[in-house]
Amino acid sequence: MNESMTDSHDIILKLVHVCYTYDDGTEALKGIDLQVRRGEKLAIMGANGSGKSTLFLTLNGIHKPSKGNVLYNNVPVDYSRKGLLALRKKIGIVFQDPDNQLFSASVTQEISFGALNLGLSEKEARERVEKVIEELNITSFRDKPTHFLSGGQKKRVSIADILVMDPEIIIFDEPAAALDPKHARMIDEIIDRLSEKGITVILSTHDVNRAFLWADRVILMDEGLIVTEGTPDEIFANDEMLLQTNLEKPTVLKIFKSLCEAGVLDKKLPIPHAADELEQYIREVTK
Amino acid sequence: MMVIDKLAYSSSLRYKSPMLKSAFSVGSLLICVGARSFIVSVIILAVMAGLTVLSSKISILRYLKLMFIPFGFMVLSTIAIVVNITDWPMDLVSVPIGNKFLAISSYSLTEGARLVAVALASVSCLYFLTLTTSMLDILSVLKKLRCPKIMMELMMLIYRYIFVILDMAVAITTSQNCRLGNKDFMTELRSIGQMLAVLLIRSLKKSSLLFDSMESRCYDGEINVLSEHYPAQKRETIGVAGFLVSMLAIAVLL
Repeated sequence: MNESMTDSHDIILKLVHVCYTYDDGTEALKGIDLQVRRGEKLAIMGANGSGKSTLFLTLNGIHKPSKGNVLYNNVPVDYSRKGLLALRKKIGIVFQDPDNQLFSASVTQEISFGALNLGLSEKEARERVEKVIEELNITSFRDKPTHFLSGGQKKRVSIADILVMDPEIIIFDEPAAALDPKHARMIDEIIDRLSEKGITVILSTHDVNRAFLWADRVILMDEGLIVTEGTPDEIFANDEMLLQTNLEKPTVLKIFKSLCEAGVLDKKLPIPHAADELEQYIREVTK
Repeated sequence: MMVIDKLAYSSSLRYKSPMLKSAFSVGSLLICVGARSFIVSVIILAVMAGLTVLSSKISILRYLKLMFIPFGFMVLSTIAIVVNITDWPMDLVSVPIGNKFLAISSYSLTEGARLVAVALASVSCLYFLTLTTSMLDILSVLKKLRCPKIMMELMMLIYRYIFVILDMAVAITTSQNCRLGNKDFMTELRSIGQMLAVLLIRSLKKSSLLFDSMESRCYDGEINVLSEHYPAQKRETIGVAGFLVSMLAIAVLL
């Protein structure tokens, strides 16, 4: 998108040439320039080890860039203890493996941790915890210890952990990893609801179909760099870039393209993102 | 241990006040050990065993099996008290060995029986607590008793991660066994060694990931969480107090 078209107020998070090198010398980020718009649905794609997870930890100040700047609401991040706590109140991360996030054996205790860290009173915290438990349908297993929960249930608790803090940006690191289709769909629905509420959602995924359907903008990362970014339509039309980053074309797009080439569908039709939309097109021409 | 943990969560007394359950269990335990009375011990054993079996819906056989775990130690130590080496023959059994006797007196026998009763009753008190109260609730009791915060936090993390690390250990062992890592004793020993080494590395890695995720939620050096309240009913409190007082009375009067 053109710089002049976006009002600077709309940019919630901005990275200027951010580099990050681990203690062992691994250069995980090699100069990331990125702007995240308020309320945006941003998908980050890239092979394992391309720097997605490191990028996420840089966004909420767990990693301090070795070079470059992170700006939240146009203000450079303050890396003092106080500044970091303020930043992390606003940016939540749902980690990939709930076992690395759930530290308590009790669901209520686990969810209340973030709420109490915001400095809420016990009463307020309890109200928020109850609300989130209701919202994410955790009620049926809230009294079970976390070690008896299924993967999908643990995932929901790990999302509740973050939601209870009411952040402006929520980052999901591969939210559907290791989930069965039913739970993956459930998590997708939760993420959609967050976007509807105006929360900025950043997620990493390997699922091109999901990114194509869901995202406002897709970013492709490779070896610590952003190789390209754009709308899903732009990104997935770029065959050369897809080949370079080892990504498939989304199924719906692939079939739409070949139906257009075969003359079955009109090339001027808006690009379908969901299988239902494509089906509708086909039903109309075969009627 | 895993079995006990599972049973604690499914006990019908799970949502009763953990404070009251602890007072009941530890109070009975103290009376039992303090009084060292056969009758008091037998009553406490019967009450504890009955309540535990009924509330946890475990079979009597399973309960006996659990009681059997400390039984072995108990038998060994009781034999040492019942059987004496003496210079004179005793009233019940006396086996001469050289110029000494291996002997059992009626006194040492009753003493032994009393010891077994006290020990079994004490164990039943602790089983009552662990089989009806989850670790989390026991932690909430310790919190109310103003146990140091650092200890509470450690206990909480350790309790949670026992299960995570145990899962990892089981997964690694299974994958080793799929590749014949247990084909003979020496291979199995080597496999266990490698499993433990990997487990240590992974646990360290996990702990650093956990720290990142806690930092992301504004962790500031202190783990603050809400705990559940299960207030005690008046009737239950009176019942427990009544039981403890009557046990104490029997112990004093006898």
